[in-house]
Amino acid sequence: MTAGFRSALFYQDPKAALAWLEKAFGFELSMLLEDAEGNLVHSQMNFGGGYVMIGQEWSADHKSPKSLDGKNTQSVSIEIDTDIDAHFERAKAAGAVIYAEPETQFYGDRTYRCRDPEGHIWTVSQNVKAVSREEAEAATGLKITGWL
Amino acid sequence: MNDRQKLPTIGPLLWYRDPRAAITWLETAFGFETRLIVDDGQGGVIHSELTLGDGYIMVVGPPSGQAVSPAAFGGRSTQSVHVQLEDGLDARCERARAAGASIEREPATQPYGDRVFTCRDLEDHPWSFGQTVEALSVEEMEAATGHKIET
Repeated sequence: MTAGFRSALFYQDPKAALAWLEKAFGFELSMLLEDAEGNLVHSQMNFGGGYVMIGQEWSADHKSPKSLDGKNTQSVSIEIDTDIDAHFERAKAAGAVIYAEPETQFYGDRTYRCRDPEGHIWTVSQNVKAVSREEAEAATGLKITGWL
Repeated sequence: MNDRQKLPTIGPLLWYRDPRAAITWLETAFGFETRLIVDDGQGGVIHSELTLGDGYIMVVGPPSGQAVSPAAFGGRSTQSVHVQLEDGLDARCERARAAGASIEREPATQPYGDRVFTCRDLEDHPWSFGQTVEALSVEEMEAATGHKIET
């Protein structure tokens, strides 16, 4: 296990989430821990060198958006280097609720946003052109500190 | 290739009521380095990138619509962030505590070979930090935890 970051997402039905994330986003299950009753204790799904952890709701403070009127306190951003529009069509076909269709942003990423079946928000991006800070500031009127 | 393309594939985005305060706090408490802030000119942050080791997070706010900070939501959360360290777990915990993090689980070595602590940040987002201190085989982890592990 290497150093780094991973998001842990809380679901009412984490096993259904594993199946959906595989179908919609192409995530691959890399680890699944189950107790004697077959309940999911912990799981990890890989995608493009990163991974997420999919788990149960486990306390009154750790809940699925489905239990909280769709509210989200965090979300996951996925940066891909393959065709974003094809990724979008796959997610849409799997039943993702689309918030924002693919659109090229001022910072050079083409991005779409969707919700999974329990209401978690996902943002998917592909960098499609290099944009300088000056170009981005001029295009938006925003003040930008640092740039890439 | 520019730096932007070196970002990891997957990055957590966290919503804060006061994203500027959060960025400063995350630098102090956890040792993040801020490499990009896109300011909306009204005290809000549209996008930011904070790095630690080979990972990064985005701090954004104030939230609107379906997004909410745990601080405005009775301390409830829909996701958490796990940070896997290569060393210095106990020192990281003390640094976080000194900055005002609420430590929920003190550093302790788990049956699966990782030393872990968990805490809440200044707006109640839950965090966990881990460091592998004993490399166990899958069979050893199953024996130690009583769980069935598929890999």
